[in-house]
Amino acid sequence: MSDGAGETGRQLEQPKTQRKLGGDDFAQAIAKVAVGQVCESQGFHAIQQSSLETLSDIAALYIQNIGKTALYHANLAGRTECNVFDIMQGLEDIGSAQGFLGASDIDHCIGSSGIARDIIQFVTESEPISFAYAIPRFPVVKERVRTPSFLQTGEEPPADHIPGWLPTFPDPQTYSSSPTSDKRGTESHVAKLDLEREHNNGEKHLINLQPQMASNMVEKPTLIDTTNVKGKKVAGESNPFLAAPLQFGEKEVASLTPPARLFNDVAAANPVVEDFVEDRSISVLDTFAPAIEAINSSQCDLDEEKSKILSNRRPNVHFKIGIKKNFVGRLVDSGPQNEYDKTTLPWFVMEDEKDDRKRRAEKILRESLENPDELVQL
Amino acid sequence: MNHNPQSSEGRHDDDAALSEFLASLMDFTPTIPDELVEHYLAKSGFQCPDVRLTRLVAVATQKFVAEVANDALQHCKARQATIPKDKKDKQQKDKRLTLTMEDLSKALREYGVNVRHQEYFADSPSAGMDPATRDE
Repeated sequence: MSDGAGETGRQLEQPKTQRKLGGDDFAQAIAKVAVGQVCESQGFHAIQQSSLETLSDIAALYIQNIGKTALYHANLAGRTECNVFDIMQGLEDIGSAQGFLGASDIDHCIGSSGIARDIIQFVTESEPISFAYAIPRFPVVKERVRTPSFLQTGEEPPADHIPGWLPTFPDPQTYSSSPTSDKRGTESHVAKLDLEREHNNGEKHLINLQPQMASNMVEKPTLIDTTNVKGKKVAGESNPFLAAPLQFGEKEVASLTPPARLFNDVAAANPVVEDFVEDRSISVLDTFAPAIEAINSSQCDLDEEKSKILSNRRPNVHFKIGIKKNFVGRLVDSGPQNEYDKTTLPWFVMEDEKDDRKRRAEKILRESLENPDELVQL
Repeated sequence: MNHNPQSSEGRHDDDAALSEFLASLMDFTPTIPDELVEHYLAKSGFQCPDVRLTRLVAVATQKFVAEVANDALQHCKARQATIPKDKKDKQQKDKRLTLTMEDLSKALREYGVNVRHQEYFADSPSAGMDPATRDE
């Protein structure tokens, strides 16, 4: 019998195969075929997909309903296995909604009830139509592979209190700790960290972007505190809509990175310094960045040892700025690194304070000399 | 109990008829396969190794489905009779008897099952293949 949906039905089947197969799909498919056969025997030529599904669902529910009521009557009689009378009684219960012959007789025998007669009549009248397909037994129950017991393997149980019929223990290396895994783990960690450091050196230009964002973030709390003009200037820098308009021919220069990084280092190293450093440095950054950079570089040239340490220290400096990846990396092997920090930190702060002083001097000098336009804006 | 001998005699006949019917079920193969019935009976907690009882349930279910389908068929035929004759094309198409949700819901209502036709379900009314291609 046709399933009634034709082409659309086949299209509807498509996603069903992709769906995760439930436990009952096979049984539902069989029920559909069986119901389709019954409908065809009644004289239908076609059936809609939805009605086929509905009717097959109802047929399945009907079978389960019979089973439930039969089981109920068997349990009522104190049995666990059902017999034919339980089923007939169940069928009477279900069929009582429609009514059947002899239902009004309370004392009637189950075997002679109208239900039984109807079924016998149905069987004798209808020609048997066997199911269209051969069906394997289902659901398939997989046989479990059991762990052999001590007796089966012939082993002696490791202790006296373990009886021989219990399953054997798994291999010792599956539950005892293996020494090799630890070393390898740490080694790989170290290698990873080294790789990360190299990565950082290579990607300095990328990381230089970070201080800008970080400084913007740090500025926000100080905005509330500082009420002077410079504070407002800072606000103008952080918020592009509050910034003063640029003069004609003037290009907007992003706040340069090396000083910004230094400032951030100071801020991160000792947050007490944060406030007063910010007020000056941020406003200076835009105007005097090239000069400060030159100073920094010259200073590095003068003191090579320091510059070496500085360049070595740079990845760690970036760590303080707060790239998450590096933070994690530092936490993992925090032992030697922390000591290093403690020894070098005071020197570093001093260096930055020096820088700050220089910056202030630079600022006072150049403000008056070079950039009168900028001063007007300030 | 106060049964007269005749009724107990009749009961004996009925029992004999029932057992005879059950024995005849061994040869009768219902359309609903045993495996399906056993699966759903097992789901409901029913357990009995007797294949005759499985067949009995299968026959009862088949009877139920056949009755519902027959009722739906009558609804379908009655609906086709009321279709105005002027639409020859539609009439031609509707010569084929299609079990639709509309008829099925009407038929099932008598059996205590309330289903509604899905209002916006894309189930084409011309569902079913052409009689020429219908090979099963």
